[in-house]
Amino acid sequence: MAPTEKRARMSWEFALPDTWAGGAADAAAGACDPAMENEAFAAFYSRSSRPLWAYLARSSADPALADDLMQESYVRFLCAAGAPALATDGEAAARLYLFRIATNLLRDYWRRPRAATIEEIPEEFFAVRGQAAQTDAQILLEPAMRQMKPRERQMLWLAHAEGYSHREIAKVMGLNAASVRLLLFRARRKIAALLRACAADADGRLS
Amino acid sequence: MLTSCRHENELRQLMARGQWPDACPPELRAHVSGCRTCGDLVLISEAFQHARVESLAAARPVPPAVLLWRAQLRRRNAAVERIGRPLLGAQIFACAVALFAAAGFAGFEARNGVAWLTLSYWHDWFVQLPQAAAAQWASLSAGSQAGSGWSWLVLLPALATLLLLGSVAVYLATDKQ
Repeated sequence: MAPTEKRARMSWEFALPDTWAGGAADAAAGACDPAMENEAFAAFYSRSSRPLWAYLARSSADPALADDLMQESYVRFLCAAGAPALATDGEAAARLYLFRIATNLLRDYWRRPRAATIEEIPEEFFAVRGQAAQTDAQILLEPAMRQMKPRERQMLWLAHAEGYSHREIAKVMGLNAASVRLLLFRARRKIAALLRACAADADGRLS
Repeated sequence: MLTSCRHENELRQLMARGQWPDACPPELRAHVSGCRTCGDLVLISEAFQHARVESLAAARPVPPAVLLWRAQLRRRNAAVERIGRPLLGAQIFACAVALFAAAGFAGFEARNGVAWLTLSYWHDWFVQLPQAAAAQWASLSAGSQAGSGWSWLVLLPALATLLLLGSVAVYLATDKQ
């Protein structure tokens, strides 16, 4: 083992035999990928954390949940044996993988039995941050988003906020591209009608 | 069912480049005002882009070092758990061998009746142990010198030890694969 490599290993690993320390850390955790050095990760994190948080917050309509799921997504990304390496697979692949983890975490969260379902979340959740300064986008989009199904919200966000293609959305959501095309078309029609209705309501209230 | 407009891709590209609506041809603007598909696309994309900008500003990500530390902690726990597994297996196996030996001993002694359950039997056994062990060793040495094989008293623990070590070695080999 080279001295630099030895330095990179954590102190607890020296207490273990090589087959276990290296092997276990690599296989069970899979995250001792040299490509995922701290600096590379920090740079990737600074570029991807905010979009990921936005996706989670808008899909779940719960900023606190988005905070938790974002952290969990990155920890799982770092620990995943099959995660794309930034140096070899590129940041786009890593970002897709990260969004897929986040999507699965959201799905798990929604599947868990809870006192309230996503549809029953009170309106206050949407105004947790900056209640006083609601913008046009918030006023129009949030009521419309509330009436969409969770999967539709995720799909619309990935397509229109993140600008992902049908194939990329399919990868993130674990669907096939043809299904995404159809589901997205329907979701788009639905939210457009809702946005127009919200805009008409807002105009009516003003006049 | 999936009716799309031929201007949709062009419009999508213009919006992605930030050229909508100011830097786009007036014909396209006129088309968008009359086309439902393109109108929906503009409406939704603008709403989501505004929402995205607001959400990006609202995000408060934790420092990356926290996540690296949490990931390291999780990896360490996984490694420790992985190490503990073969040890637990060996312990279970050793316990099973000990139980088997105890059961065999009890069965063997039961053939001589229930006298071995009394205290006086064990007192006599301890008193006679040095002579019995010496006699056993002498017979074992004689047997091995004559090449007639090993006493089961030596063979059984040796086989059990070999089995124990062998199973641990097989476990580690398969686990590594």
